[in-house]
Amino acid sequence: MVIPETPGKVVAPLSTAPAVAGHTGGTFARMSKRGVAGSGSSDGDAGTAFWLMAPALALYAVFTLLPIAATFWLSFNGSAGFNTSASFVGFDNYAKAAQDPIVWKGLAHTFLWLAYHVVMAGGLGLLLALAVSRLRITQVFFRAAFFLPHLVSLAVVGVIWANIYDPFFGLMNTALTRIGLGAFTQGWLSDPALVLFSVNIASSWQGFGLYMLLFIAGLQNIDHSLYDAAEVDGANAFQKLIYVTLPGLREVTTFVVSLAMINGLKGFATVFVMTNGGPFYQSELITTYIYRLAFQSQDHGLAAVLCILLSLLAIAITIVFNRWRARLSQ
Amino acid sequence: MSVRNREWPVALALTPALILILAPFLWLVVSSFKTEAEIGRADPFTWPADLMWRNYLDAWQIGGFADLVGNSLINLVGVVVLSLVTCAPAGYALAKIRFPGREWLFYAFILGLTVPVQAIVIPLYQVLFGLNLVNTLAGIVLVQVSNGIPFGIFLMRSFFIGVPDDLIEAAKIDGASHFQILTKVFLPISTPAVQALVIISALSTWNDFFLPLIVLISPEVQTLPLGLVRFASTYASDYRLVFSGTVISFLPIILLYILMQRRFTEGLTQGAIKG
Repeated sequence: MVIPETPGKVVAPLSTAPAVAGHTGGTFARMSKRGVAGSGSSDGDAGTAFWLMAPALALYAVFTLLPIAATFWLSFNGSAGFNTSASFVGFDNYAKAAQDPIVWKGLAHTFLWLAYHVVMAGGLGLLLALAVSRLRITQVFFRAAFFLPHLVSLAVVGVIWANIYDPFFGLMNTALTRIGLGAFTQGWLSDPALVLFSVNIASSWQGFGLYMLLFIAGLQNIDHSLYDAAEVDGANAFQKLIYVTLPGLREVTTFVVSLAMINGLKGFATVFVMTNGGPFYQSELITTYIYRLAFQSQDHGLAAVLCILLSLLAIAITIVFNRWRARLSQ
Repeated sequence: MSVRNREWPVALALTPALILILAPFLWLVVSSFKTEAEIGRADPFTWPADLMWRNYLDAWQIGGFADLVGNSLINLVGVVVLSLVTCAPAGYALAKIRFPGREWLFYAFILGLTVPVQAIVIPLYQVLFGLNLVNTLAGIVLVQVSNGIPFGIFLMRSFFIGVPDDLIEAAKIDGASHFQILTKVFLPISTPAVQALVIISALSTWNDFFLPLIVLISPEVQTLPLGLVRFASTYASDYRLVFSGTVISFLPIILLYILMQRRFTEGLTQGAIKG
């Protein structure tokens, strides 16, 4: 999710200079020459523009913009559910949120969750990309095979891993027992100290494939003459990695990290399916708590406050990373 | 090659990692052919004595997978078609036509690109309820399309910006309208962008769980991931059904990917970078 070039301003971080037909190779580093949004053939075409925008805009207004505005409104109102009338309560819901221990737990878990995801999914994606991109003959095979988990719905991933973690018949504990590591069997989803990590492994297993593809695309864009130059200077493989490869991946890394953080922030399905936030709220995230408040206990005011918190976190992550990327590409 | 090519050592080193990462699939597929008694032996390294195809038959019927797959397909086609129909013209207008309010719209779409859908779920449900769209496939399609609109528009726009204005001027001299320029000139040369939009919207729709969970309440209208979760919790202790049902849920997309590997890879990479 890259913020595209803003009209009138050249920000244009990762957006590539879009080429005409047929061009598909990733061109991360290339900056858009035309940072200014849209060119402008158009005098008196405002009417046409309106009709071209209308279908998208109508849907977007009803199902996205209106709900965003309504969420703000809800956060200042007391409401006991979907069919009750609301009354203005000022900042009461915000005060309630600040005093709710589950909110703080959910927030802490969410931060931990996205850190796990960045490190495990992002890290695995990078490592595999470094290895896979050295292959020629078997590259397509390995790339495709490693990508398979990413095709599976996170809800299905939740079902798969709930069974893998099954204490008696699951792959994890039965395999450990069979290879003589019975001492390492765990209550993967029942141990309060372990549960968030266990569930995150499932999510990261599903997530790393896309990051790997992005890193591979980034690696393909590193100028090969840099490696030749390093070799002339007598650099060994490790030095080439440190001085050529990793710096060459800086832009794509910021992109992957921001994408992984946003994906982590939105994490919901695996937790919902595998633990529903338990045991004892030990895997409750902001998103699962929003769902619980909105559709089970029907505390819409408190839920709306958490919705706003979630949005602000997403916006903050996006802005910080876009600034960072813009600075990198200067 | 300046990066020295060590094909076989690297491939060899990657093989254990590959087996480990694909182990969940292998284990599920093998287990799904076992009898309940064989699963009860809790030994993941044995093969089933006979392949229990019956597990699949039972899961398919008990889980109502025919309906789930059908609903998922309707859902997918609806979202892909509507996304193209809405995002291509809007992306064109944002890229190539100057009109008052363009900057304002641009920021409005960025807002939607950033705010997670979980954060607007309460009013979203209320809007659907008001329009009588709760528990309908039409409802889920409209919500998912709207949710994907900012991404789709920016994807199309970023591609269209690179198309030279001269093409528009030339077409205008020939008397073409903007709509004709879009359909006859821009779309035919935008296959990579269209492909990326189709693949990304199809995959995210097929796999979506959160919105169907909110919108699709009764089993007859549910899509595959939602239906599987319901099935797996209903028959939680009937492992052979859960295993084969789960394999049914991930197999189609994996087979499709193996057939169209290159397009998927291109589409997803391009989409992630440009969207």
